[in-house]
Amino acid sequence: MLAYAIKRIFVLIPTLLAASLLVFIFIHLIPGDPAAVLLGDTATPEDVAQLTREMGLDKPLYTQFVLWLGNFLQGDLGTSIFFQAPVLSVIADGAETSILLAVMTMFWIVIFGVPIGVVSATKHGSWIDQVSSGGAMFAASIPTFWLGLYLILIFSVTLGWLPSSGFPSISDEGGLTNLRYLLLPSLTLAAPNAALIIRLVRASMLDVQREDHVRTARAKGLHPLRVAYAHVFRNALIAVAAAFGFTFAALVSEAVVTETVFSLPGVGRLVVQSILRRDYPVIQGVILVIVILYMVTNLLVDLAYGWLDPRVSLK
Amino acid sequence: MNALALFNPYSGRRLAFLGLVWLTFILICALAAPLLAPFDPLAIAPVDRLSEPGESYWFGTDNFGRDTLSRCIYGARMALIIGLGTVVVSLTAGSLIGMLSAYFTRLGHVLMRMIDVLMAFPALLLALVLMTLLERSVANTIIVIGIVYTTTTARILFGMTLKLKNEVFVEAAVCSGAGHCSVLFRHILPNLISPLLVQASFIFAFAQLQAAALDFLGLGLPPEIPSWGNMLSESRIYVTRAPWLLIFPGILIIFSVFSMNLVGDALRDSIDPRFKDDIAGV
Repeated sequence: MLAYAIKRIFVLIPTLLAASLLVFIFIHLIPGDPAAVLLGDTATPEDVAQLTREMGLDKPLYTQFVLWLGNFLQGDLGTSIFFQAPVLSVIADGAETSILLAVMTMFWIVIFGVPIGVVSATKHGSWIDQVSSGGAMFAASIPTFWLGLYLILIFSVTLGWLPSSGFPSISDEGGLTNLRYLLLPSLTLAAPNAALIIRLVRASMLDVQREDHVRTARAKGLHPLRVAYAHVFRNALIAVAAAFGFTFAALVSEAVVTETVFSLPGVGRLVVQSILRRDYPVIQGVILVIVILYMVTNLLVDLAYGWLDPRVSLK
Repeated sequence: MNALALFNPYSGRRLAFLGLVWLTFILICALAAPLLAPFDPLAIAPVDRLSEPGESYWFGTDNFGRDTLSRCIYGARMALIIGLGTVVVSLTAGSLIGMLSAYFTRLGHVLMRMIDVLMAFPALLLALVLMTLLERSVANTIIVIGIVYTTTTARILFGMTLKLKNEVFVEAAVCSGAGHCSVLFRHILPNLISPLLVQASFIFAFAQLQAAALDFLGLGLPPEIPSWGNMLSESRIYVTRAPWLLIFPGILIIFSVFSMNLVGDALRDSIDPRFKDDIAGV
């Protein structure tokens, strides 16, 4: 197990390095001079040249990369052109919203996704199964932003029950009741992902149900519910745990859209706005932070997988 | 089982059959758009702006007085172009990378590590970053979404080719003196056609959602092009005044993606059981 973990971490490091190089190259391929963008239209060529020197943009590309990476490792992600503030603090400002949104979304995914998937598998072939798996596929076919706009139309505009946009911090006035601002966004974000988990729980439970140990458990006369829980569900959870890695990726992708629909001050919306504002240091920083989070999540998921199912790490 | 039998309306796959009917309908709209559309999708009529659905405008009009029905019909054309384009780009690049990597192990070490790096980026994020480098255009949208799905296709094809590589018929071909090209394209590739078809159907479906999301974020197709995603993106401000602008293109996207997923699912059930676990749909 330990050897497996070490091996996995060693594979992670070169991939991370390559990913950071890729992000670096992407940003440098963008046409236009960052120094000129930073100074605006009124800058003289001399000003631009001086800033280029100060920013180290006149150095060879590989020197720039090493310097950038060095700074990055020390927590210095550069300065935002738009906010005129350190990129790290700009990201930190959006972190509260995004983390709370992710937690609430995960809550819905688990609450809806797992039980529906279990029922669907235990009633395999029945109308309940057909409705829930069909419904899950339908939910996964809905564009996130469309669902978000529709929920706003129903619950904010027509019924007036919930706020349609923004999110005041939970440390502001209102405290935890401010979480109601995240209710519609988290449901929007949860829909396609819960659909994925429903199908996954169902499929992996059906797989486990066919295995010998389940037949033995049934044959020795165990109560069907006990078989379903202790023998099938617990084994099926292993495959579901593995899915949380790509659920994270899906959450990030869709959070970009959802935060834009609901005008939430999160990291996802920061990505889109920075791209539209051409705020390169922020784009570079946010993307790299997300990629690192994603890869670490995947690593943890893989390690948990190896721990839950020892067959994996032995391969 | 014959793949076509799955779409028999009297078999158990009634929903998949309905999906196929819907997709045929969309295909007809796309091909015959100029004949079917009652108005020019780009014609502006300021007097009629934001008219409700009625006799002259069945689906109402948008903020420029453009006919929503005509734009929806032309939107089918864009959906088809984006979907097919993405499928062609990602399947061609993905199969080449996947097959070559599995067949030539050393090359595979390099290529698959590159794919790993690209896969470290969540899909939409990768598309967004690539779009910052490129102009908003139809071709660039296809390329960007195509690259995103090249990674998953390469991964899947890599696994499948590895399995096939050790089969007896491949060994027989090698022993009888077949060259690398012949082994790869005449012996291995034909065995991958049906899983590729399944993969194509899912990519087609996902591409619609990704393209719509890019349009919505203002980083997809140029705003003047009547695509369902662009229509939804523009309707956002008028949600309370003109809800029909949200309903029609939305339903078209949802039904098309859902249908494509149903068809993909039905196709997957008909393919070689060896590959069933390799392809994941929705």
